[in-house]
Amino acid sequence: MKPSQPPPSAPNGPPASRLRSFLAAPATPFLAPAVIYLALLTLFPFVYNLVLSTTRQNLARPGQGGFVGVDNYVTLFTSDLFRIAVVQTVLVALGSITLELVLGFLIARLFFAVRDARGSSLLRTIYILPMMLTPVVSGLLWSYILNPTLGIANYLLESIGLSGFAWFSSGRTALITLIAVNSWQWGPFLMLLMLAGLLSIPREQYEAAELDGARWYHVVRSIELPAIRDVLLIGLILRLIDNFRLFDVVYAATKGGPGTATEVVSMFAFRQVFQFFNIGYGAAASVVILFMGVLLTTFAVRFLRREETRVR
Amino acid sequence: MRLNRFTIGTLAAVTALALTLGAASAQDVDWSAELGDHSGKTLRIIMIQDPWVGAFGAINERFEELTGARVIIDSFGYDETYNKEILAGSSRSSEYDVIVLDSPWIGQFAESGFVDDLTGLIEADAEIVQFADFVPAFQEVSRWGDEIVGIPFGAYFIMNHYRTDLFEEAGLEPIRTIDDFKAAAAYFTGNSDFPNVFGTAMNNQRGAPIGQAYFEYIWNFGGRPFQSTYPGSPEPYADMTPLLDSPESIALVEFFIEMLQYQPAGAENFAWDERATTFAVGRTAMVNAWSVRTPGFTNPEQSGVGDVFATTLFPHVEGVDPVPPLGGWVMGINRYAEQKDLAWDYIKWFTSPEIHKAFVLEGGPPSRLSTLQDEEVRTAQPWADTLMQSQAMSYAEVRPRIPEAFEIIDTIGLYISQAVQGQLTPAEAMQRANADVAKLLRDNGYVVND
Repeated sequence: MKPSQPPPSAPNGPPASRLRSFLAAPATPFLAPAVIYLALLTLFPFVYNLVLSTTRQNLARPGQGGFVGVDNYVTLFTSDLFRIAVVQTVLVALGSITLELVLGFLIARLFFAVRDARGSSLLRTIYILPMMLTPVVSGLLWSYILNPTLGIANYLLESIGLSGFAWFSSGRTALITLIAVNSWQWGPFLMLLMLAGLLSIPREQYEAAELDGARWYHVVRSIELPAIRDVLLIGLILRLIDNFRLFDVVYAATKGGPGTATEVVSMFAFRQVFQFFNIGYGAAASVVILFMGVLLTTFAVRFLRREETRVR
Repeated sequence: MRLNRFTIGTLAAVTALALTLGAASAQDVDWSAELGDHSGKTLRIIMIQDPWVGAFGAINERFEELTGARVIIDSFGYDETYNKEILAGSSRSSEYDVIVLDSPWIGQFAESGFVDDLTGLIEADAEIVQFADFVPAFQEVSRWGDEIVGIPFGAYFIMNHYRTDLFEEAGLEPIRTIDDFKAAAAYFTGNSDFPNVFGTAMNNQRGAPIGQAYFEYIWNFGGRPFQSTYPGSPEPYADMTPLLDSPESIALVEFFIEMLQYQPAGAENFAWDERATTFAVGRTAMVNAWSVRTPGFTNPEQSGVGDVFATTLFPHVEGVDPVPPLGGWVMGINRYAEQKDLAWDYIKWFTSPEIHKAFVLEGGPPSRLSTLQDEEVRTAQPWADTLMQSQAMSYAEVRPRIPEAFEIIDTIGLYISQAVQGQLTPAEAMQRANADVAKLLRDNGYVVND
């Protein structure tokens, strides 16, 4: 007796037919646990959050509040503080990524040049150590180091005759300091990706370029940058998403201050939910942040892919 | 400080009461008979991570021996303690038996029903608790409506701490008024006779630090934050029309900005720890800080100013009655705790006159009148005189105790911080703060007039 055969699949048929085929397929029961798990951990929280965002609820006032429709979103889009947070989040993302790209490429080239030298592996390991730190630890660490009065950074500067900086303590320097600290921690990530790209370049291309009399900038433009473009695209997208979620360093070092100098969207949402317990309003903020992140990433991917296609 | 008749009379009455209660407390309590047998149980307490938290370790061993219970204390920073307690209450968690409340949180926790009313328990154990022995203003703090939501165990006051050696060398008297404070700060800052010394350090960090600073100073600037909230008001929250954009408020913000020049670099980000630390390491000639920090200034492991500082009252504008800022903690029972008998045994034991004195001698803040008058305590904490004067003039509602207090303080703190950073003018900052706070209060059903 022949074993029962699965019904023929209908990949090009109407949706209902495709659904029936999928449900009847032998693989479906094996996929079900994973799908249910993902649905519970991602889809359900998102939908619940969406529903919550249409209510005015405060955890510290149980039993009060109720459905308010889009009121929370109206308040959000007319909030000066939220607008400032969005602008500054974008600035931090652009600033950090630019710094990480430039410095990361220079350091990747450096490591590429000394790749066969003794001790280069150790140096590379030391360079990527910041990535191993928990971001909140990084924020605390730098808030102590950069304390204008008690921190070692200004002590060392003043000991060589220079004047100290305000670092996180002034509205003029806090955002730049945040970008620098953020880049210090995650710059090694892009550097590693670029180094991997450089290491994949066949040696013959360098030899051919040398024979043709190419200068260093010809090599960078025509050989190295094209080689790292693909991996860099992935890295940039991941860093964009990461920067949009930036929270730990801000919370540990500045709490969004001084004033609103380092206010970012995640800090805004955190404050609403975990300090004021306005979970409805905080949920609305997180929904908006999610959609902004998705939009930003989508445009970034399309732009970078278009550039990639144009170059090819 | 000029003492008017009212203040002298109050001090005298309070002293008499303290001495009477002190005599009563000298009769030791038979704790083995008073406390239950809680062998095998574990009492969990959530506690603020203030400087005295280490004192619990030695003291709690006595309770463990008496009752057989194990006492575990989880201590956290200010924001984290608040977060955890709100989350525990809203989720009806029985994780903690005893919780501590800062004075601005009282209304929120009482209205939310997260803590038990202790009135009946206090009455049943009146001779042990001796509630009237607590600092009167703090007795008020622990009440919400007809309920008593906690026993005051950590009464703080902000005092002016100043370097006696520097003041003597400069020929300056201890400060009394805001003008004295400014002048002394200006004198020391950048003075080549006092290298590396700044005038003072203040809370300037965005949010609760500078928001609370507003409520510390506004009364002493002759202002008030809300229409019906003032010392002597019969109903402090009847009319919550905010007055945050009053001339006194704007003058206060201008004062915060002016004082920045007399503070060490980085002062824009100073909060409670930093302002106290700069004084302890000798970088500032004076600091207005909570009395909870004062024992630390005498500890040679933490401070270099142990023998050369003294305290005086919080400064006020000339002609304005001083209102020394009051703060601190009460100890209550989690509404959802499953070991309420154990929790109450601990609270009444820990806050009793006998154990409270032991706690104070370990560095805790004196919260009982009898303790403030105890000679052993006054020797260990010479600033007890300043505390005694402060408590006679303090006001329970110096910071609002309504459920919206946290958000109000943070909102004010945001705008004042923006003014300090130059992002807004003082007038703009306080007008925006006033508008936001008015909306918040109106949305939550308070009387707010245009």
